[in-house]
Amino acid sequence: MSNLNVINKNRTAVINPLVTCQPLGAMFAVSGIKRGLPLVHGSQGCSTFVRYGFARHFREPADIAVTSLHEDAAVFGGRKNLISGIGNLAARFKPDVMGVVTTCSSEIIGDDVGGFIKMAKDEIVKKMGVTAAEKIKIVQINTPSFVEQHYKGYDNAIKAIVDTLAEPKDEQNEKINIVPGIVNPGDIREIKHLLSLMKTEGIMLTDTSDPFDSPLRPSKAEKNPYYQKGGTPLEEIKDSANSLGTISLCSYANTGAQSLERKYKIPSKVGGTPIGVQNTDEFVRTVKKFTGNEVSDDLLDERGLLIDAMADLSSRYLFGRKVAIYGDPALTAGLARFVTELGMIPSVVCVGVKNPEFVKEMEKVAKESEDDVDVLLGQDLRALDVYIKENPVDIMIGNSDGRLMAKDHKIPLYRVGYPVYDRVGTARRPIVGYNGGLNLIDGITNTILDKYYEVQDWKLQQ
Amino acid sequence: MPHCLLDVDKDIPEREKHVYIKNSNEPRHCQPHCNKSTIPGSMTERGCAFAGVKGVITGALKDVAHVVHSPVGCTAYGNGTTKRYPTNPLMPDGTVFPIENFNLKHIIGTDLNESDVVFGGMNKLKKVIREAAKEYPEANAIYTYATCTTGLIGDDLDAVCKEMSEELGKDVVAFNAPGFAGPTQSKGHHVGNYTIFSKLVGTKEPPKTTDYDINLIGEYNIDGDYWVLEKYFKEMGINVLSKFTGDACHDELCWMHKAKLSLVRCQRSATYVAKLIEEKYGVPYIKVDFFGPRYCAENLIAVGKYFGKEEEANAVIKDRMDKIQPELDFYKSKLQGKKIWISAGGPKSWHFAEPINEFLGMEIVALSGLFEHEDGYEKMKDRAKDGTIIIDDPNTLEMEEIVEKYKPEIVLGGIKEKYLFHKLGVPSVMIHSYENGPYIGFEGFVNMAKDIYSAIYNPAWKLMEFQEEEPGDAK
Repeated sequence: MSNLNVINKNRTAVINPLVTCQPLGAMFAVSGIKRGLPLVHGSQGCSTFVRYGFARHFREPADIAVTSLHEDAAVFGGRKNLISGIGNLAARFKPDVMGVVTTCSSEIIGDDVGGFIKMAKDEIVKKMGVTAAEKIKIVQINTPSFVEQHYKGYDNAIKAIVDTLAEPKDEQNEKINIVPGIVNPGDIREIKHLLSLMKTEGIMLTDTSDPFDSPLRPSKAEKNPYYQKGGTPLEEIKDSANSLGTISLCSYANTGAQSLERKYKIPSKVGGTPIGVQNTDEFVRTVKKFTGNEVSDDLLDERGLLIDAMADLSSRYLFGRKVAIYGDPALTAGLARFVTELGMIPSVVCVGVKNPEFVKEMEKVAKESEDDVDVLLGQDLRALDVYIKENPVDIMIGNSDGRLMAKDHKIPLYRVGYPVYDRVGTARRPIVGYNGGLNLIDGITNTILDKYYEVQDWKLQQ
Repeated sequence: MPHCLLDVDKDIPEREKHVYIKNSNEPRHCQPHCNKSTIPGSMTERGCAFAGVKGVITGALKDVAHVVHSPVGCTAYGNGTTKRYPTNPLMPDGTVFPIENFNLKHIIGTDLNESDVVFGGMNKLKKVIREAAKEYPEANAIYTYATCTTGLIGDDLDAVCKEMSEELGKDVVAFNAPGFAGPTQSKGHHVGNYTIFSKLVGTKEPPKTTDYDINLIGEYNIDGDYWVLEKYFKEMGINVLSKFTGDACHDELCWMHKAKLSLVRCQRSATYVAKLIEEKYGVPYIKVDFFGPRYCAENLIAVGKYFGKEEEANAVIKDRMDKIQPELDFYKSKLQGKKIWISAGGPKSWHFAEPINEFLGMEIVALSGLFEHEDGYEKMKDRAKDGTIIIDDPNTLEMEEIVEKYKPEIVLGGIKEKYLFHKLGVPSVMIHSYENGPYIGFEGFVNMAKDIYSAIYNPAWKLMEFQEEEPGDAK
């Protein structure tokens, strides 16, 4: 019998965090709206660090504006900055949607953001006229960073977006709302691909795939202001109130779906991230349930390709190997289940959150695994570092922040998640769906081959 | 009128003052306005004061544990999101620091939550400092940082650090530069400088001194810059007693007063500390520039002269120039006449302007700075030809317009704007953290030339448009 051992943090300090602040999640969500711009109500660092992180990970521009709070705002409040910030952004960029994202500073000084947005709207009407002003939707997103982490910020943003923008009509559409979570462009594209094989149209809440992986075609590019291609159009977000159902692909972002269910009776289903065979199966079944559409042969063939690879590779190279997984909760829970499907042992899974949903998901994984699973809950990379010193593993799976640690322990690291800045292609290559499973099994196996077989290269011969 | 209102700025006319077109007939004091708050609602490249102090000044030290007094976000952003600052484990007394690249590996935070914001976080900070000391007993000092949150709730970092210094028996230093302080990260540099000067300089004695000891100030070892300069000085018989702060250790800061001369490399972030040391301890300083072969040679000679080691300087210069001249000639033949925009944080824009023009033959069409001050823009102006646009704190819309109007064929800048330029069809090379650096000194300049060359000549730029007809097919 296998057990799940939950190990909580035994110190106050956070050392090498696995999580970051709420505003990041909100900026990410708003970036997935077509002609949508985040306006961060805070200090310049609040937008700059995130822009830096996004640029480094996606190798794409990240258009995020800031109200630039300084000492005067700390004393007198940020009213002036927010109102003029909204006005300037509206006039110069003419976005369809502006997401006003609060921060530690604006929350602490107690700015009445809702009230200021109203005043700003009046200003915009005065400046640009009623028609132009009404075209710009402003969404207020509260994300105090001293409460919870970036997942919560993402969740708050999705909820605020549907609460502000969704508009019910008399007629239902035949679409499904998808809340993808903080995932890569490749993953969102894979979800769309799965939906297309199910002959289903999806409304992505929101779609960061094209905005963070956009073609280089200067002569066709929209200039001054330059907007990245893609993102979910405002019309589709409005239409999310008329869908067949909402699927949140991550356990941490379900309040938007709940809100749509409460207000417009749209059934919702939450998690788990469709990583690996069973989680993807579940996703496919949910889509079938909501739409009544059949599971196609093409889709089952894709599934079969993954099973084929698992049959070929798992037992010879992967079986019984110990894995350390760290990063975002939805991602790590999905990965842990998948490595279990591969016959590997998820001996330790480390997350920065204390979410009980995550523990439930991991209980399921532990039941399926033949071995004990340790969960470092609400912990950080330093905790994993110390743990691995005592309990070595064969491979690590996680983001680039663990690279130096992996090097120190001489444990190979397969890079997934956010941020990955020292390898290329991770943002493009999906890890969700059956195709994502193929990428993962190839990547994990090749990492194992490099480390454990390459040194005795005769073992690599069939 | 030397100032100019860009088309994209018609809604924020205040920006006019920050955009200057060089005209040598205008009086000397004409230059872009700077060091002023960014206009709200802009997409700025600027960072915050916390980024200035931790990201630039202290983050490069190899043996210090850093405690960020913040909710988890600032801590997460406090490491790795800054420049590449590699360190070697050798300490000044010959011992080896046990953790390689400690400064890149570890960041500690107080993980403030709602109740800390309401009731204050000082006790938590104390607890975390103790934990940091326990977790990393190797660390020779602990530095703590205020952030927006702790600045606003009013936690007294100095009091906590004083108490903890006594309790732990090692230096625990408070850096009070919350994110909202000052218009740019530059404010953080000054807080860092002043804190280091007032709390550390003069508190320790070096293991040994020579007649040729220098402080190398404002050299952060970006991508190994310091290691290039270190070789030159070694060959000249000059000893770098204290670095500030690349590949340096905490103690080096404490004995900066014992040097015979200070050299100031990054004149935006570090002149302040050199001045303070001169005023109090009488250590003179000179501002130096080692970017580009000519400046590098001139300044090595100036340092040589000061110590009576001109010959040695000349030997270093001759050796390096002989090695790089053929490569320089090659890159110049390839880059001659290409238009370039140099957009750095502080002084790199003026450091690089002349060498790029002189040794690569490139035409400077635009210069800009994120957190530059008057003296920097003065130099930028002096080194620009008429018609060059000089712009303070450019935002993304202005960048697009400058690309359209001035048609640079390459932009030197940071990573945040790099990919926007790419989308506009213009190659861009990172000069904040470098692409394939180091960029300092003779061989470093060649590295930069190579990066510029490979960016401009990247075949991708020629393939952007799909040709409907075979290019060779004549009608």
